[in-house]
Amino acid sequence: MIRFVLRRILAAIPIGLIVTLGVFALVFAMPGDPLRELAGDKPIPAAVMAAKRAQFHLDDPFIVQYLLSMKDLFTGHFGTTFAGADIGDQLRLRIPVTLKLATMSLVFQWIAGLLFGLYAGFRRNGIVDRMLLLATLVVLAVPGLVLYFTGQYLFGVELKWLPVSGTRDGWPMAYLLPAICIAIAGFAGMARLTRTTIVDTSNADFVKTARAKGLGEQRILWRHVLPNALLPVVTLMGIDFAGIFAGAVLAESIFNLPGLGQFLFQSIRFKEGGVVVLLSTLAFVMFIAINLVVDIVYGFIDPRVRNV
Amino acid sequence: MIRPPSGAFAEEVGSTVRRLTGVVGVTVGLALLLSSCGDGKSSDSGSGSGDKSEVIAIAADPLDYINPLNENGSPGIQVAMAVFAPLVTTDPNTGKLQNVMADSVTPDKTSQTWTIKLHPGNTFQNGQPLTAKDYVDSWNMTAQGSNAWKNNGFFSKVDGYDALNPPTPDGATPKPTAVKTLSGLKQVDDLTFTVKLKVPFSQFGLTLQYLGLAPLPEEVRKNPDAYKRKPIGNGPFKLAADWNPGDDIKLAKWDGYKGPNPPEAQSITYRFIPNADTAYNEFLAGNVDFVDVPPTKVKTFKTDAPDGWVTAVSSGANYLVIPAWDARYKNPKLRHAFSMAIDRKAFADLVGLSDPAKGLIAPDIDGYRDNACKYCDYDPAKAKQLLQEAGGFSDPVMISYNTTSATGQIFAEAIGNMLRQNLGLTVKYAGKSGSEITTLADTRKLDGLRFGGWGHDYPSIEDYLTPMFKSNGDANFAGYANPALDTVLAKGDAEPDQEKAIKLYQQAEDIALEDMPLIPLYTKSNAYLHSAKIEPRVSKYVGVSALYATFK
Repeated sequence: MIRFVLRRILAAIPIGLIVTLGVFALVFAMPGDPLRELAGDKPIPAAVMAAKRAQFHLDDPFIVQYLLSMKDLFTGHFGTTFAGADIGDQLRLRIPVTLKLATMSLVFQWIAGLLFGLYAGFRRNGIVDRMLLLATLVVLAVPGLVLYFTGQYLFGVELKWLPVSGTRDGWPMAYLLPAICIAIAGFAGMARLTRTTIVDTSNADFVKTARAKGLGEQRILWRHVLPNALLPVVTLMGIDFAGIFAGAVLAESIFNLPGLGQFLFQSIRFKEGGVVVLLSTLAFVMFIAINLVVDIVYGFIDPRVRNV
Repeated sequence: MIRPPSGAFAEEVGSTVRRLTGVVGVTVGLALLLSSCGDGKSSDSGSGSGDKSEVIAIAADPLDYINPLNENGSPGIQVAMAVFAPLVTTDPNTGKLQNVMADSVTPDKTSQTWTIKLHPGNTFQNGQPLTAKDYVDSWNMTAQGSNAWKNNGFFSKVDGYDALNPPTPDGATPKPTAVKTLSGLKQVDDLTFTVKLKVPFSQFGLTLQYLGLAPLPEEVRKNPDAYKRKPIGNGPFKLAADWNPGDDIKLAKWDGYKGPNPPEAQSITYRFIPNADTAYNEFLAGNVDFVDVPPTKVKTFKTDAPDGWVTAVSSGANYLVIPAWDARYKNPKLRHAFSMAIDRKAFADLVGLSDPAKGLIAPDIDGYRDNACKYCDYDPAKAKQLLQEAGGFSDPVMISYNTTSATGQIFAEAIGNMLRQNLGLTVKYAGKSGSEITTLADTRKLDGLRFGGWGHDYPSIEDYLTPMFKSNGDANFAGYANPALDTVLAKGDAEPDQEKAIKLYQQAEDIALEDMPLIPLYTKSNAYLHSAKIEPRVSKYVGVSALYATFK
């Protein structure tokens, strides 16, 4: 197991290099001058422009800029954004916000996904199954933007049950609405997958065998169907968890939660390559770590993958 | 002193005097799909407690520091207006210049050297008296190019600026210069200093109302970074609580402020909500007392908050920019043909809260004439005739629009359709980010037309003509140059009599309208929502102010 973990971590290093370099190149290639974007049309005096460009290494060649931001990243000297915010402060402020939002929305999403998926899987073509199909189609068809604003308007402005935006009400109140919205937008995939794997597994030969030899339904469910059906679900959970950062970009912007997603959005807008790479690296490390955890969990659920 | 990106549309143009950058356009763009249809009864209370407190929503990223000299964005200047006080200001009732920290601002006979006397008895919020030295030293710091403070450019008119801002080779880091002071800036005594300009400039007194010239006290000047989040101002409000990243900015009235007409509010909270539609929803939910109406709500805000809205003409104007660097567009008759093919009324209706433009300057500016433009009436027949006289135009007309604006494409297509239908032209469109359009235009590589907007930094007709039409103007969108116009502008700048100066500037506007590097399109109003407990100050000269709201 230790060899397996080490191998995965070593493999992550070149991937990380490629990912950060790629992200940095993409930001670098975005058209327009980042300092201009800050200044609007007001001309910036040449001396001021030169001083700012030097401060943020904007005149250096691409690869030098990349290496400098990697150096900042590893030494922990993050510096400031173009607008003057201390990046270290921003991370301290924002990481907890995103984590709170992510965990809460995932818990909602997984509970809803699993419950609906399991029920629909066992009661195929029943009312819940049909409702679920319809609901998932609707949810998948509605853009997140519309869903978030509708939720905000309905529960924040009209009913006043939950805060409209911001973190002033603290955890959990401030996070409930965005978390529910993310969960609604995301539970459909989980529910559909769970339903399908349950259906597939229930029809598998070994389940029929179990039934044929007279095992009770409860035992078949808990010992034979679920452990096998949940394998792909665990994978999806891992992907969900790693991808929550991406989902947070929109939700944090609309619900004004000062998290990493909002920060990423701002940084891309201002072409702040260094910050984007920093955040991407964070996301990447999280992705690798979570995948590792998923693989290990897999090993416990399914003995077959232990020796791969 | 910030201007909208030239590719930007008017809806990105900020409040009364200062401009927003394209920043807001991005968040606004996200929300295009949504429209609100609430009952929107104006709420009677913000989250602030006690009497005469208000919560003002600012739809922008949170500030990272408060330093007026290093700030030229609308949100930062808005907050700085509460914490700092300018030398002079525009009287909201009369439109005339009014002293605040200054006792007098006097030009010499040529308008080249200006003497500024401070009103005695003013102090900073740390108790130190406000002296001429504070102004001279703060301004010198800002004029030092290597400090990279955003209002550095303001001092380029002052004698000695070049010594503090030597040309820097590409890629080099500007070094602090040996010279630390502007030769044109002289302290006479504790309360008097003089400013000698490079050339005569009759409008200089008006420029002094810019909040970005506010002084910093000595302890802040020594280490500005240490005071990024704890400003020491000289204005009507001071920080009421520690201000950490992510916090609202909470201000309390400062009793030491002795300027005219102090605001009525006892405490003000500025809340930053980057998404303008979210900020609007916060207002509808009753959590803030004042909010800007974002462009996505222009058609619905009156029903959303039937008893709680105000509008005011925005000090600015919006144009279609014709590139002077493209010989195909050179003939003024062609430009006039384009102009007369545009149905400004229909276009203004499309934009919403707007009026057709009748000249190159904003309607609230002294010297505005509503018959200035002879080629701004919609007349397709005349337009066609002018196009023929100009020899026609066979190439496709390219219109670039800002993709970060919610309405960029819609407006571009509206103009394009008018040119197509009324002049029989082929029109093509190109969507790009605002900064890309600006960069392409700066390097003379942009093909075809684009939108441009301008709002003044100080309320003078000159601040429309010099930046946009003088051959080296710093917002010369079209890359336009006409020596005759430059000469008339210089005469206006040297004319101490304001009435006569305005006449000269109007001559310059006439020249610009004949050449028409910019086609006037529309002037816009801004709309704001306010809670029932406040009544924002509305002035036809300085627009709407929540800072100076009265309480019920």
